[in-house]
Amino acid sequence: MPTLAETTASAHRLALVGLAKNTGKTVTLTAMLRELEAAGRTVGVTSVGRDGEERDAIDARIAKPRVRLAAGSLVATTDALLRASALAHELVEETGVRTPLGRVLIARLLAAGPIEIAGPSAAADVRAVSDTMLGAGAEQVLIDGAVDRRAASSPQVSDTLVMATGAVLDRELEQVVAQTRDAVELVRLPPPDGSEHSEPVALPPRFALTAGAEQVAELLDANPEARRLLVDGALPERFLDSLLPSLRRHDREMTLVVADPTRVFLWRHGPGWYARRGVHLRALSRTALAALTVNPVAPQSHTFESGELRARLADAIPGVPIFDVLQDAAENVHAQAASTLRFP
Amino acid sequence: MREVDLAAVRPYADHLGDGLVQMSFTLPVPYSLAARRAALELAGTIGFEEPEVVHYEELTEGYTYFVMYGRCMQTVDFAALQGEGFDIEYMSEDEIEHFATTHIGRPIVVVGASTGSDTHSVGIDAMLNLKGYHGHYGLEGYRCFDTHNLGSQVPNSVLVARAIDVGADAILVSQTVTQQNLHVHNLSELVELVEAEGKRGQMILACGGPRVSNELAKELGYDAGFSKGTEPHHLATFIVRELAERAASPA
Repeated sequence: MPTLAETTASAHRLALVGLAKNTGKTVTLTAMLRELEAAGRTVGVTSVGRDGEERDAIDARIAKPRVRLAAGSLVATTDALLRASALAHELVEETGVRTPLGRVLIARLLAAGPIEIAGPSAAADVRAVSDTMLGAGAEQVLIDGAVDRRAASSPQVSDTLVMATGAVLDRELEQVVAQTRDAVELVRLPPPDGSEHSEPVALPPRFALTAGAEQVAELLDANPEARRLLVDGALPERFLDSLLPSLRRHDREMTLVVADPTRVFLWRHGPGWYARRGVHLRALSRTALAALTVNPVAPQSHTFESGELRARLADAIPGVPIFDVLQDAAENVHAQAASTLRFP
Repeated sequence: MREVDLAAVRPYADHLGDGLVQMSFTLPVPYSLAARRAALELAGTIGFEEPEVVHYEELTEGYTYFVMYGRCMQTVDFAALQGEGFDIEYMSEDEIEHFATTHIGRPIVVVGASTGSDTHSVGIDAMLNLKGYHGHYGLEGYRCFDTHNLGSQVPNSVLVARAIDVGADAILVSQTVTQQNLHVHNLSELVELVEAEGKRGQMILACGGPRVSNELAKELGYDAGFSKGTEPHHLATFIVRELAERAASPA
């Protein structure tokens, strides 16, 4: 079986996104960095949050994996964190991006070692630092996510996506599988196929953010033939809640077209649930999902058997390779190391 | 006066370096001499030298409340933590007005709310309302700010729509963050909605709450995080400085 790094070798800007905190993004990042270093690839790394810190920002009982970069790596992090790493480096660019932890610099490391990484948060800035690192010699840029944030995985920023899921989503394995399936369905939203032979209706700005059931009903009455709504911006679940009763009343179906999956905010149900009720979500573009990683451990709580979790996920979500990077590393080296190697 | 060694500071009460700490806590044990011994032993285990119970009483049946002294002889290297650029020098109200007139020269629109299921509007009110907090009036009291306080339990999507409609320069949200994913999700979702609307570059996003730190703010995608002890002019200083920086170097 190819490694995660081999699976994603063609990516230029690779986004790591977690379905929640503690699904193992940073562990995935460190595993990929090891594989890429072994393959002799020059990487650039940035984080929309913070990586490589010792303790979790919300739950201090959770120890986090340190992030170690190879000599020659490019990194986007704050002036203070770069200084604190005490690693020899050369400055590539002062980005002018300010974060709560300091100003973001891009540097080339002249020595290997552990470092805390906190790059830009805003998607446009993430794209800019990624391009700078690619221009400065990185063969691939890894963009680590934070908590459940997805903006840096939009096609405007990244070309490849790796999603991290894990036991932390729910105590029931079935629920973890279902929520992961919903999330995968969302990032793979198909393009509109043009089979609805009617003029699409472009929603007024912010309509999808604020409209209640009455306003939605008025809009549908005013456009009785409309089969497709174009949403320019965010599509929150509240809007779908407001849309469903009107559709049901008139026995209508509706296709909602967004720019890309990061514009859709679902919390309770996945796209499939809405599709069964006549609301079809479509995206004009999307970032290619290359792999899923699983963390079978929920910190301070429960643990699933990694093999079983992966098998159940593979059944529910065909066509995506699924990795448990710690299990995979352990299987290659030393089976018994797995239990001690596991981080949240 | 004795020189403080900033590379090795410790708490003090009577004289520098004595390490004296006062602490209070409750043990789920009946009020008794054994309870007192348990508290002393616990303080010793934590690492306090010369632990002393100065007060203890029964809270309710089966629970005992303690006030203790102890000496903490460990030190912390404050020198290494300084100069990391986390600290802002705060301006006074008059300085903020003057700075805004000079560097921004138009009303600064701020929209604030307690979002999601959070019913606590104390924090946001303290920052925005005229009455303010701790002798400092809120942003409403400034000539340079045009303030919109949307109150509590505001859905993120409504807050973002309103902020765009009024041309907000900054959104301020307050939320009590716990280890529950819900609170974290609610804060990160606001940032993601602003991104999805394509407005992230035009808005300063700040979050506040009892457990919010700069580290957490960074994780969640905010430009700043404000916690306990924040006064309105701290927030105001951050907003006017950040706006001026953005005006000087548009991304």
